[in-house]
Amino acid sequence: MNLLATEILTPRYALAWYPWAVQYFFLIAISYSALMLSLPGLMFRRERFMPLARLALLVAVSCTLVGPVALLADLHQPARFWHFYASAAPWSWMSIGAVLLPPYVVLTILYGYFAWRPALMARGAEGQGWDAKLARLLCLGNWQAPRLTVVVFGLLAALFACGIMLYTGAEIAILASRPLWNTHWLPVMFVFTGLIAASGLVMLLNRLMVGANADVYRQGLKVILVAILGAALVAAIWFVQGITGYSPSVQAALESVRHNPDWTTIAIWALSAGILLLLVAVAMLRTPKWQRWAWLLGLLAIHMGWAFRWLVLMEVQTVAKNTAGYYHLAVAAGSYGLLGIIGTFGLWLAVLLIIDILVPWRDVNNASAATY
Amino acid sequence: MDFSRRTLLGQMARLTAGAALVPLSSLANAGINDQPPRREGDGSKRYAMLIDLRQCIGCQACTVSCHIENEAPLGSFRTIVSQYEVANEATGDIATMMLPRLCNHCEAPPCVPVCPVQATYQREDGIVVVDNEACVGCAYCVQACPYDARFINEHTQTADKCTFCAHRLDVGLLPACVESCVGGARIIGDIRDPDSQISRLLAEHHDDLMVLKPEQGTSPHVFYLGMDERFVTRPLANPAIWDVRDNDGKEIGYEFAGH
Repeated sequence: MNLLATEILTPRYALAWYPWAVQYFFLIAISYSALMLSLPGLMFRRERFMPLARLALLVAVSCTLVGPVALLADLHQPARFWHFYASAAPWSWMSIGAVLLPPYVVLTILYGYFAWRPALMARGAEGQGWDAKLARLLCLGNWQAPRLTVVVFGLLAALFACGIMLYTGAEIAILASRPLWNTHWLPVMFVFTGLIAASGLVMLLNRLMVGANADVYRQGLKVILVAILGAALVAAIWFVQGITGYSPSVQAALESVRHNPDWTTIAIWALSAGILLLLVAVAMLRTPKWQRWAWLLGLLAIHMGWAFRWLVLMEVQTVAKNTAGYYHLAVAAGSYGLLGIIGTFGLWLAVLLIIDILVPWRDVNNASAATY
Repeated sequence: MDFSRRTLLGQMARLTAGAALVPLSSLANAGINDQPPRREGDGSKRYAMLIDLRQCIGCQACTVSCHIENEAPLGSFRTIVSQYEVANEATGDIATMMLPRLCNHCEAPPCVPVCPVQATYQREDGIVVVDNEACVGCAYCVQACPYDARFINEHTQTADKCTFCAHRLDVGLLPACVESCVGGARIIGDIRDPDSQISRLLAEHHDDLMVLKPEQGTSPHVFYLGMDERFVTRPLANPAIWDVRDNDGKEIGYEFAGH
């Protein structure tokens, strides 16, 4: 550090993106990751993956519904969201995202609806209780939907999910103004950490909402293991690109935080959490009797997925672009801060519970009972 | 940063400042994150600014007049003069470095292609503006600008930035900051007109001009004369002014807090 110059007058630049952005990136990543986790069971009818698919579908639909709300809230002029469509800008990644997101949401809901519909019909046939009446209402008539509907909407939703993975990563990664964002590896890292968080959430709900299915734990742990190894590899390549100077942008990124003790703490924390996640996942896969505690590891996995987005979207904004030093990240108590964070999770929980009440999601495609 | 890298950056800054004077061909038919077509403004002109740092005394008259002209909220600035105290490495003598900052009205402005609703755009005369009736306040452009030239205006809740006072230029007036500069340090004009004052000065000082962050490839059109090359990129300085903390290390506050 050059100690010969002292900044004596400069404005403070406010953080332009709020924690809402973190919530959106977190929920949408869980959404597309959980959607992928549901495919082996629901699309390809692998019986072993059905318990995982049931939970993953619940997670995917609930997160898909709440994510866009957080995104809307991050706009300073949310009521003008229609401008995205009235004056689209095909050269902007964010505009591309605005085009991809609504079909993705609709397709995911349709995929869920048609996967849940046979179970809804079964419940509707059960008598005159309020839940049976409601189920008949939700079925929109007494017709059989071909199984093809699940396959087609699942496939289309998965296709758009790839678009969401690409655009959410690319829109941040193209910003050369912030070297910490400006790397091709960022979209990849978003996907890996998204898979980790989604598996973690599925394992947690496996404990809380169904009877701690052993297959779900084992499959979730395997996904976490693969994703954390992938994330470690990506992080290592990124770091090497920086210290060798192979990528000037990554080099600048490392340089920008090298002397900051807060960032050293963050790096140590991330490394420890990653290693812990890896070691525990390996240990649990090797010793099946420990797997009944996998939901605890799920909590760590969720933490990783969320904290990575907090780090990328919020902490990076504290690195000044032009002035000396770093900005202080103060999370406000109100809707721009803490209330927004808690509120988004509260909304998600509400949606989850509403689905749980309205939809017999546990009975989805229960082997031979399901008719399409 | 070591000395040789600093020198290299300085040379890059000079070279890029020169290259920016060659008009870029139109960047139409945009791919993802390419520059969209320009619109409005007089295409026969290309506005640019030269800031002669040798004339700047850091009086902030530009900052104040801009504030009055453009009604930016208190604490947000379309232009401001950053000030640094610099000690001579050999003698230890202290000097003050002034660095007026504003939008660089880049030839390849990274803030423009990111805008998802075409609210921010570059005019044919090179001026980058925001239509705050169209802006959704996503702040993507604020993130994309490497110069911190943009902010979200807390009154309008939309992106705000220096426009070279386009509303004044269009009726033949000088921008507020240029008008009020006591040292005549800010010179604005049309660089397509070879006889304009700015064209003559740019030609005269061609080898000594610098732009900010040339490595970003934005081709800024605010040129600095008499610049210390260590300030071309983010300066390696000690932060001071807003780092006001009490004995427990807690930040005490900020001059504009509470307004």
